[in-house]
Amino acid sequence: MNNRVGAVAHLLFIDLLGSIAWFPVWWYTKGLSLIASNAIAALTYRSQSYSFRIWIRNFFVPMYGQFDIWGRIISVLMRFVVLVGRSIAITVEAVIYALGIVLWALAPPLTFLLGSQSGVLGAILTP
Amino acid sequence: MAEPVTQQIILCSTCQGDPRASLTCKACGGSGLGLPSADGLLTWGAVVDDFALAFRKIKLRINVFFHLTLIVLSLLTLAAFVWRLMRLDNLADVSTLRFWSAGYPEVTFFWFGLFLDCFIIFRLVEYTRDVKLLPNWGKNKAQRTVYEAGAAERSKHRFNVSLFFTDDAWQTVGNAYRLAKDLHLGEVTVTHLFAAAISSNTGAIFMTRLGLPFDKIKDPLAQMCHTATSGPPPIPLSRDVKRALILAYADARREHRKYVSTIEIFLQAFRNEPKLQELLDSLGFPPDHVVHVAEWIRLQDKLREDQERFVTLAMLKPATVMNRAMTARQTPLLDRFSEDLTLAARNGYLQPLIGRSQEMEELLRAIESGRRSVVLVGEPGVGKSAIIEGLARRMVEEDIPPQLFDRRLVSINLPQLISAGDPGLAAERLFAILNEVALSGNIILILHGIESLSGGSSHGPLDLAESLSTELDKGYFLAIGTTTPHAYTQYVERRSLGAKLTRVNIDEMGRDDAIRVLMAKSGSIEFQNKAFFSFAAIEKAVTLSARYLHERSLPDKALDVIREASVLARKQRGERTFVTADDVAAIVHEKSRIPVEAVSSDESAKLLNLESELHKRVIGQDAAVVAVAQAMRRARAELREGKRPIANFLFLGPTGVGKTELSKSLAAVYFGSETAMARVDMSEYQDASSIHRMIGAPGDQRGGLVTEAVRQNPFTILLLDEIEKAHPEILNLFLQVMDDGRLTDGVGRTIDFTNVVLIATSNAGTQFIQDEVRKGTPMEQVKTTLMEQELKGIFRPEFLNRFDAIIVFKPLTQDDVSQIAWLMVNKIGERLAEKGMKFRAEDAAVEQLATLGFDPLFGARPLRRVIQDRVDNQLADLILRKAVQRRDTIVLQADLSLLVEPAPPLS
Repeated sequence: MNNRVGAVAHLLFIDLLGSIAWFPVWWYTKGLSLIASNAIAALTYRSQSYSFRIWIRNFFVPMYGQFDIWGRIISVLMRFVVLVGRSIAITVEAVIYALGIVLWALAPPLTFLLGSQSGVLGAILTP
Repeated sequence: MAEPVTQQIILCSTCQGDPRASLTCKACGGSGLGLPSADGLLTWGAVVDDFALAFRKIKLRINVFFHLTLIVLSLLTLAAFVWRLMRLDNLADVSTLRFWSAGYPEVTFFWFGLFLDCFIIFRLVEYTRDVKLLPNWGKNKAQRTVYEAGAAERSKHRFNVSLFFTDDAWQTVGNAYRLAKDLHLGEVTVTHLFAAAISSNTGAIFMTRLGLPFDKIKDPLAQMCHTATSGPPPIPLSRDVKRALILAYADARREHRKYVSTIEIFLQAFRNEPKLQELLDSLGFPPDHVVHVAEWIRLQDKLREDQERFVTLAMLKPATVMNRAMTARQTPLLDRFSEDLTLAARNGYLQPLIGRSQEMEELLRAIESGRRSVVLVGEPGVGKSAIIEGLARRMVEEDIPPQLFDRRLVSINLPQLISAGDPGLAAERLFAILNEVALSGNIILILHGIESLSGGSSHGPLDLAESLSTELDKGYFLAIGTTTPHAYTQYVERRSLGAKLTRVNIDEMGRDDAIRVLMAKSGSIEFQNKAFFSFAAIEKAVTLSARYLHERSLPDKALDVIREASVLARKQRGERTFVTADDVAAIVHEKSRIPVEAVSSDESAKLLNLESELHKRVIGQDAAVVAVAQAMRRARAELREGKRPIANFLFLGPTGVGKTELSKSLAAVYFGSETAMARVDMSEYQDASSIHRMIGAPGDQRGGLVTEAVRQNPFTILLLDEIEKAHPEILNLFLQVMDDGRLTDGVGRTIDFTNVVLIATSNAGTQFIQDEVRKGTPMEQVKTTLMEQELKGIFRPEFLNRFDAIIVFKPLTQDDVSQIAWLMVNKIGERLAEKGMKFRAEDAAVEQLATLGFDPLFGARPLRRVIQDRVDNQLADLILRKAVQRRDTIVLQADLSLLVEPAPPLS
């Protein structure tokens, strides 16, 4: 019998009502770490597709098998340009993800505050 | 059976794990027992009763309802906001501060709606699924090591495994409870759990794969379900059920599953209840079959998960010939003569490798050890190509040593390359290709059938091996070749190319591994042919092809068999049919010409009456007939030793007593035709050099007379006539045949003699036999003396020892010859019947023929001559003179003259 009461109480007070209290804690602990790890995984995958490590390791290896001196010079320049380009791209992506995380962190208080503010203003301004 | 979990279950010290006592036990909280593990003390911490099961369902429904309500609310706030926007005179007002600070209720709703969305995200992530992921799922090796390190700390705590059971698995546990309740039993037993598991969706798939109709198991299982003691509610889970559920968790964890599903419950229930094992065994499904089928279902799930991971990783691999470092260059000539395996793997055309992890490690180690190329040496069909395709997939996943990183695996089409016919052109092409490969620098070459570079192909004298060897020596690229052991020895090993390549042996797969490969590949065959495999079909394909098909190796030959069997099943019974063990047996029979199907009732009757069938042609010689018939019955009932011929007989006795006739009649009765026999006259093999005629000269692809006959038709009688006349070296050859059931021919092929009835006949000791029989010595004594004295000088003891039976044929008596005379006269009648004439012989005439044809020295042979002279000659005259017409009757009279009785005229 105790088990039954416990189960119903668990559903009511922990699962349903308790989740309201659990929500802010979850949002800034488990939720934040979840979103951060997803962002890191996405960035890692993207950086793998940009092949930074391979390009740095082969920085002085001529592209397209052009082993003559001009081939080497053009290759190094090209690799430099591409690496810079890809670094910028990944930085931009990282910034977007970071903004996303910041937005995640700000979203609940911000929306709540703005909502409350709008509600209060509505009450004051409405005749 | 797969490994059982041997860890010791710990019982609660207070309630001793008693199901009822544990319900109220404070010490264990109702779990009763536990299993120590790296996760902690595994316990079943959930109550299973009507309330708990109903509550579980309600809880899920309440959650769904709650989430739907939240989503509707959020949508309403959004709708209100949109409504406000639509009422604006100018939509650009949205960008003004006035709009947002005007205190519109819709704007307030909008912000709170967004806040609500955050809450919905939280609820959906945290509360939608009521099942927890297994602790080691999705963790890599390093993460797992960190987790395992905390095992000691966790061991102090209880770990509730019920949280990891899927809804489906919970349904199974619930159904087991309801079954026990409906039967008014005192507790839920493992049998109930098993019955509930096979009634689930997974159970249905399982039963279908096993080939076991539910109706067949329903009654005995229902009976077993009733055997538990009855008792009033509450109905607790028995100790064994809790144990099985905990072990199901341990099993799922060991197999790196995401959750604990019904298949794990099914397996553990089966493993932990000997009575269930006995039940299925009695229905023809041994425990290892059952476990294999469960593995099959899990393997397909795992392959699906692996494929998802592969697809994600494959996206990183370039889709062109260029590598990611962009150091490669175009290879136009190579592209014309090759196939890019990494590209094929990336695009999903290559299947994953099953098993062969040891060989793959050896291959990678050889590559990693330095700038060494590799040759995979294995018989056709062992899976050399599969290993290379597996390597291509690993290169796509980049789960490989640095030497292979960011490279392409390119398979050169050697026949196309060298088919120019002009060796100069072929060499030029090869050089140009190798040059492209070296310059490109990102290519690992695959050379299937590398021996063809050394002239080991049908394209004439051509030697490109030296060229390749020189290029490999420079170390600009790596190559992986494949070849057969024989071709390796003949064309590669002693050449400079052989010295450049590290040999990796690929042996034929074992039975269990081959079954696993077939299970993994069955899906695509099923899809292609729209027919489904039962486990018995898979298992039979492996077992029968291993035993009867010797031209190729496992798993390839078994895969061929199931492919053909699925086509056969579809053609015979239409689409969506089941491929059974019988379909597989029919294919193997067709390929090997060996009857491998289950013994039919017709055949069984024939086998049981084999003696009388043989006696229709062989008069007397009871011992010989019985020995032969018994050997055939043993062979067909699969009771014989698998590694020897069906039987090895030595027939001794004078000429004309029925030695060859018995062999012929066995061929006719059992093998279908008198000619289903390879007859070798051993007097033609009197010198040692004639061995080449028998097994083939070294390197001669045509093979030898005996080996080819048996290779072409492995289920046959091998009759070695007058064996005493053969050279002793040749007899030595048969020592191996009689002992191991195989013989290697001149080309190096191993010929299987295990389905051969080997009969050697000999006239040795004839005089002795005749003298002793005349003296009236009993046959047993004649045989003993013959073996101990007479045959000693003729055959070596080890040769005689190899025979299953040495049968002494008695000289024929006058009575025997009379019966033979009747047989022969009847045959004349059969021949005349074909010409539309009737034939009748008077008793006295046959007796007269028998008297004239009887000669104790030559057996029945003189009788044939007498019949030929006295009867056949006269018949020929009659027919040629047209003195006899169709429908007339010819009568052989007592004085051996022929009388023609004209047929009555047709009315």
